[in-house]
Amino acid sequence: MHRSPPGARGFLIAIGLLGGALTVAALAGLLLFWALQAAFPRPVEEGYPGYLILIFGALVLIPILVVLGRRVPYLTDWYYLLPAITFLLAFTVFPIILTTYYAFTDYTGLRNGKPDRSTETAIVRVEGRQLFVEGNAHDLLRCDEPDCAGQALEITTRTQRARVRVEQASGNTITLTAPPPFAPTLVYKINEFRFIGFRNFVEIFSRAGTVLIPVLVWNIIFAAGAVVVGAIPGLILGLMLNNKNLALRGFYRTALIISWAIPVVISVQIFTAMLNVQFGPINRLLGLLGAYPIPWLTDPEWFKVSALLICLWLSFPYWMTATLGALSTIPDDVYEAAKIDGANGFQTLTGITLPLLRQPFIPLLLGSFAYNFNNFGLIYLMGPQPGVEGRPSTAQAGDILITWAYKTAFQADGGQAYGLGGAISILIFFLTMAISLINFRFTGALREVR
Amino acid sequence: MAAILRYLGWALFGLLVAWVLFVYFPGLLARIQPNTPPGFIRVENGWVYALGGLLVAVGLIVLYAWLATLVSNRRAQRKRSFWPLVGQGLTHLFMFLVLVFAYYPVLQILAASFDPRNTLYRILPPASDNLLVRARVVPDFSQLSWENYAKLFDGFILYPYQAFLLVVAALCLLLVLVLAAYRRLIGDTDSDSSLGKLQGHSLAAFAILSFILVIFLSPEQFTGQGTEAKFVLWVRNTLFVSGITGILAVLLTATAGYAFARFNFPGRYPMLLVFIFIQMFPGFLGLVATYVLISNLGLLNTFTGLVLAYSGGIISFGTWVYKGFLESISKSLEEAALIDGASKWQVFTKILMPLSAPMFVFIFLLQFVGTYSEFIVANLFLTGVDSWTVGMGLRNFTTGQFSTRWGLFAAASVLGSLPILLTFYGFQRYFVSGYTAGSVKE
Repeated sequence: MHRSPPGARGFLIAIGLLGGALTVAALAGLLLFWALQAAFPRPVEEGYPGYLILIFGALVLIPILVVLGRRVPYLTDWYYLLPAITFLLAFTVFPIILTTYYAFTDYTGLRNGKPDRSTETAIVRVEGRQLFVEGNAHDLLRCDEPDCAGQALEITTRTQRARVRVEQASGNTITLTAPPPFAPTLVYKINEFRFIGFRNFVEIFSRAGTVLIPVLVWNIIFAAGAVVVGAIPGLILGLMLNNKNLALRGFYRTALIISWAIPVVISVQIFTAMLNVQFGPINRLLGLLGAYPIPWLTDPEWFKVSALLICLWLSFPYWMTATLGALSTIPDDVYEAAKIDGANGFQTLTGITLPLLRQPFIPLLLGSFAYNFNNFGLIYLMGPQPGVEGRPSTAQAGDILITWAYKTAFQADGGQAYGLGGAISILIFFLTMAISLINFRFTGALREVR
Repeated sequence: MAAILRYLGWALFGLLVAWVLFVYFPGLLARIQPNTPPGFIRVENGWVYALGGLLVAVGLIVLYAWLATLVSNRRAQRKRSFWPLVGQGLTHLFMFLVLVFAYYPVLQILAASFDPRNTLYRILPPASDNLLVRARVVPDFSQLSWENYAKLFDGFILYPYQAFLLVVAALCLLLVLVLAAYRRLIGDTDSDSSLGKLQGHSLAAFAILSFILVIFLSPEQFTGQGTEAKFVLWVRNTLFVSGITGILAVLLTATAGYAFARFNFPGRYPMLLVFIFIQMFPGFLGLVATYVLISNLGLLNTFTGLVLAYSGGIISFGTWVYKGFLESISKSLEEAALIDGASKWQVFTKILMPLSAPMFVFIFLLQFVGTYSEFIVANLFLTGVDSWTVGMGLRNFTTGQFSTRWGLFAAASVLGSLPILLTFYGFQRYFVSGYTAGSVKE
């Protein structure tokens, strides 16, 4: 019984057992946490920390796994994957599912499903389903509906909290749909978000002409351009430094890596200062050459040029190193044979070196394209962007899809529209997946795995 | 048919280039306003002088190459062309220009960090006879001071035992550097030689000592006024978070990579696909959900929470790379061990783990460097100056409410990039070999 059942059956049994174990452990952790809360109540503000759930869960999981491993020995192969799978489930898959759900809701910074602490209202008296407050309940809780019908509320005492729903409220009386589980002292309004179907996607596509399409086009140009401006100079430098007769070759090689070795978060900010219209050293240098100050970061088109310029500075060492690495795998006797056959330098380059570089370069080029397609750090750190007429402040001249999504979801001027941001994220997900599929097709990565 | 397509492709490419050159580029130039702001020095037709200077340099190189070849030909009684020497000279000239391009930002930031005046946004040019200095193309080195750096260390109390550890760690690092240089000099490339072992041990000692220092540095040691006085604390926080994330990345990916490379259980291929495709969701856009999760776990504003938030995004790549690495190692040793009755776990810990040390170092370093420059997630999860990271602190200098503090930003940039710069140059070998092992398959 050491062999796993073959094919899909074995896979499903293993997945089912592992998933069952994880679910049982998670539920047990949650139950133990609630039991602890119920047995030894603590004030709401300083309750038990939530990570206890994780610790309890792990404590339950380990014996389950040991027992399972004894009973179903072939499952132990999967235990090697379990740490990775657990973390992926908790911190990647779960957020993805939740984000996908938010994409179909009107979740924003205001409607976040949390109690609004500014609507804190003291409860004077409780009678069955009725709560009595001092003053007008509707005004104190700032309900959307005139009689607060259907409004979700949070009720608390010092050690307990619960969520309830209003049937109706009039004057100083709030009638709940069910009697509260305990006698509350405070009540808050909950800012609920609602399921709105495809409305977020409709909003994106209805304004596609002014926002989505220009941003997408620039995104593709940026990703492709970033690859080109990095790869070509890097390739040229690599070819030049591959000359074994060149003195100081090692020095150049080491010294030129500098821009790769400086953290991006620092170097991009240095560059934004360097590119300042009036004070930036780059414009001053160009001024000495006879140029007028170039609006690097204040003109929509020049902003894009600046983004590519920074890309050039950041990425040429990577390509130089990649070229040198790939060239070192070409044996010397190929060149000797070419020399004996009477090929000159240029013929050797176009006939031998470049064709031999193509094979290792294709995956690197595609990988770099996929990376730059979502190169958030560079665009975001370049700071405030020049405006473009008719576009929202979250998608300006240099914004790519991912910065647009981020600014929509997290910046105040985007209204912290997490729902809309989530919808854009899903679009990015599909685009990235398409790019990666093309990537795999070209490089044969998936066939190799099989 | 294929030929037609190829010509069509080239024609399209040519059209694109023509469009960029003759439509887009003039359009760009037309967007430049022809006026000079105060303090801006513009030299009419300056490019003519620059080009002239370059041509003179080229001429000198050709002259030198011709003379040198002439002399050596006379001496050795042979006839050699001087063109290879010209090519070398021109390569050096080109490399010099590339070096200027690569180091220009570094030079400017270094100069600004030693300049107590807020030089970037000053209208009055420095008084100097040199045109380049007056135009502020070459930084003005007339007033150097440590003031900016002193501000970053203001009120920082180092306990005696920490100072001792720091000195020992620095000595270890120095020993590593000296040994590396010496071994390169005598051509010792074997890492098992006695010197190589000593180098490895002192590097390990340095890592352990720095780890202890990072852990035991506490916020109480920073008594200075102003946020910038906490800079060392930010560096410590960043190193701590990056280090833990890197270790976690190795722990999570090692066993998974082993299973994918060596086991043949049903479902291996679909699981691998899941690992790859999950990674394509733009990680930090799940931030709202991750935020909800971490806040429900009560881990907001803790480093644990931040590391957990990072942990989702570090698994797939490391697993993939480590799997590729194991597949390039021969199985024969493991098979012999399995026949001798070793368990899979013993094979992994006794045989493969020692072999994989360079790959673990690579995965750790990649994660370490990547986390060091991250600031978006940190910005969301960490509140309070005491738990900021370097990226957040630097961002605060340039976008803070007190306008840009350029000198401070420069000094902090220099100090803040040092750990990564040292790591990068110290472990250059691992980076290069790791990248080639992961991507360039033969």
